Amino acid sequence: MNLHIRPIMSALLRNRTGAVLVALQVAIALAVLVNALYIVMQRMDKMGRPTGMDVGNIFVIQSAGFTARFNLKSSIQDDLAYLRGLPGVIAATPTNAIPLSGGGSSQGLVTVPGKHSTDTFGYYEVDEQGLDALGLHLVAGRNFRHDEIEPPITTNDASRFVHNVIMSRATAEQLFGKQNPLGKTVYDSIGQGATVIGIVDPAMNSWVDSDHADFVFYMPRVTSALYGGVRYMVRCRPGQRDVVLRLAEAHLATSNPDRVMHFVRPMTYFRDLSYLGDRSMGIYLLTVTGLMLAVTCLGIFALATFNVATRTKQIGTRRAVGARRSDVVRYFLVENGVITSAGILLGCVLALATGYYLSVQYALPRLDLYYLVGGVLLLWIIGQVAAWQPARRAAGVPPSVATRTV
Amino acid sequence: MLGYYTHLAFRSFGRNPGITALMVLAIALGIAVCIMTLTVFHAMSGNPIWWKNDRLYAVTMDNWDPNQSFRKKHPDLPPPIMTYKDARVVASSDIPERKIIMYTVEATLSGVGAAPLRTDTRMTTGDFFAMFDVPFLYGTGWSKSADNPPQPVIVLSRKTNDTLFGGTNSVGRVLRWNDHEFRVVGVLDDWFPRPHFYDLIGGAFQPPEDAYVPFAWGPALELQSSGDTDCWKPETINNEADFLASECVWIQTWVELPDRATRQRMQSFLDNYWADQHRAGRFPRPRDNRLTNVAKWLRDNQVVDNDNRVLVGLAFAFLAVCLINTVGLLLAKFLNAAPVTGVRRALGASRRQVFLQHLVEVAMLSVLGAALGFGLATLGLAAVHHMYAAAHLGHRGGYQELMHFDTVGVFWAIALAIVATLAAGLYPAWRVGRMPPAVYLKSQ
Repeated sequence: MNLHIRPIMSALLRNRTGAVLVALQVAIALAVLVNALYIVMQRMDKMGRPTGMDVGNIFVIQSAGFTARFNLKSSIQDDLAYLRGLPGVIAATPTNAIPLSGGGSSQGLVTVPGKHSTDTFGYYEVDEQGLDALGLHLVAGRNFRHDEIEPPITTNDASRFVHNVIMSRATAEQLFGKQNPLGKTVYDSIGQGATVIGIVDPAMNSWVDSDHADFVFYMPRVTSALYGGVRYMVRCRPGQRDVVLRLAEAHLATSNPDRVMHFVRPMTYFRDLSYLGDRSMGIYLLTVTGLMLAVTCLGIFALATFNVATRTKQIGTRRAVGARRSDVVRYFLVENGVITSAGILLGCVLALATGYYLSVQYALPRLDLYYLVGGVLLLWIIGQVAAWQPARRAAGVPPSVATRTV
Repeated sequence: MLGYYTHLAFRSFGRNPGITALMVLAIALGIAVCIMTLTVFHAMSGNPIWWKNDRLYAVTMDNWDPNQSFRKKHPDLPPPIMTYKDARVVASSDIPERKIIMYTVEATLSGVGAAPLRTDTRMTTGDFFAMFDVPFLYGTGWSKSADNPPQPVIVLSRKTNDTLFGGTNSVGRVLRWNDHEFRVVGVLDDWFPRPHFYDLIGGAFQPPEDAYVPFAWGPALELQSSGDTDCWKPETINNEADFLASECVWIQTWVELPDRATRQRMQSFLDNYWADQHRAGRFPRPRDNRLTNVAKWLRDNQVVDNDNRVLVGLAFAFLAVCLINTVGLLLAKFLNAAPVTGVRRALGASRRQVFLQHLVEVAMLSVLGAALGFGLATLGLAAVHHMYAAAHLGHRGGYQELMHFDTVGVFWAIALAIVATLAAGLYPAWRVGRMPPAVYLKSQ
């Protein structure tokens, strides 16, 4: 098949402004499309990471005693008895912090006492229902027993560590490499040791933006009220969360006059808040990129329409001297293909340059070339689709036009 | 003449309503996206106390781990907060005109009839209010004499006063703060510095705290920070005394220095103190004592994050595509109407006049586009605002507060409309003005 590139090129070169403008649009659109999609995919991967937790069925209650009469121990006992007795509740645990929420505590762990820890691991104080209340999956070892749950730290022994810990697989691998972590001892910064009794996987700590969001371990300890009150995490049967949440809120708000409710919220609230920036970035990028493609598409369409309109006579002449309708359609599609390809070529350079700039300036990962290939194909198809209708219209020009004096 | 060109432009719009609509829409979309992004960017990058930029300084001293910096990703930055002992030393200096040390706690307000109220309370020193030009509705802050030993005095935000006292003047009233009696000495007027420059922990756009209490109550009542507490040194910290003596950082420190000379004196004060401590075995890292003004403080703490910069770039790339698109359409349109222009030229219109006539047409398109773009941006900002406010996501972070139009939005709309006119219109108008009229008179 002869595409007749030469006459098309010479026609283009004689009247190049419009073509150059469209090629420029295609180039910018390609550079933006490829990089935007790449960023969006990274954010989606980040938001879609397995948390290991039953986030959708968990809610969190935070309250704080504010008078001298308030008894932390009996209050926690009463609250847990009430929460665990509610129909629809699978498990409930007191905790010091809410995973995925952006708030919490972390500390260093080492395998040799006195060694310097370069990593910090998010930790959660839970009781024997802790793993169940979070919906975590134990892949090795065992859960905490009731008699292993230690009393809360106080302002007299705030450095006290625990005797046992359960940790994420990522934590275990960071500390022990390929060795079996079960039964091994980990130490805090001042050399107090704890035995690893269980491994959960997957699991996440509070900080979704951290490089090591899976560095997390669990302590068998009743949480203290030292850091802004007591939090409970309550996991419900599917569909029961909102009903249970309202019951629990009503009860805890009135059951003890010496405390004040801070909030009762589904865990999804905290997760969504942590990912809000990623989500809105994704939506914004997709919207603007979509609009940009639409504008580019219209630009291609308009140029093709204009070209057809100004060449009615020539088309008629070609038809009169023997060109078929398909030849005319092909002419315009090839012309469009040449323009789009030029734009795409420039766009590839722009896309790579933008990707490089973003990776250097903003420490984003380097652009994945598959996206470039996909973007090139997409823009080429968009170009052909946009030019299709004007090309068809051109094919409809009757040969008799050529014989008329316009 | 301008009136006539305007008339011609309307006639021209009428000839190709589709293309005209397309051009207006392209300009509008480009401008709308730019305004939206820039509005948010501007709100984020603002300095809410710019008039004191050469007076207010955050004090930091790098007391961190000899083996690693405070922020792994920004090894050049010291911790933004200080240890208790170092903050106390700064607070004891007579060099600054004003100085504050502070942190935040969660506290409960009760004893005034209404249900107990959970608050974010700022534990700070008396200079806070004058230093940051905080407006008062009733009463005042507390005097320095109330700082040490701490007096049971409290300043409420306007919102807290509305909740507890129905907005009436509560100065002199007594309430219970964490179950201790405190007397209200002042109520703030509406005050919402954006960003929340004096404490960027927990979100740069959060509202100011609900209540303000003398700093020394914190250690006295052993109240832990609800902000960040960071420790690097292996030390046994069992009780409050251990904690206060530790290398843990948790206190924000600001000083007001009226001139360069005071600033230099303050810097040498810090350096001398550092040297003493260094000799005594503290401060294992290289000396890095800083007085950072607000603008640099906001930059160092990355209030405007990378996403926002990327979005501004994207917005301008989009505007470029829209304008290139418009140039193409205009060129096509003008050249298509060249025979008419040819007649005008032949009848005596100068090149300049033809150029001006077409430029007027482009200017009108741009004005229409800018107006529509402004409308679209308003809708877009409302949509984003809604997205943030939905599901009560709004209370923390306060990002939805950024989605408001301000005069800056209007300014940008006008500026961008002018830029759009010049960028999109100059070349097509020039091209059409340069065409020899004869060609178009020949065969018609």
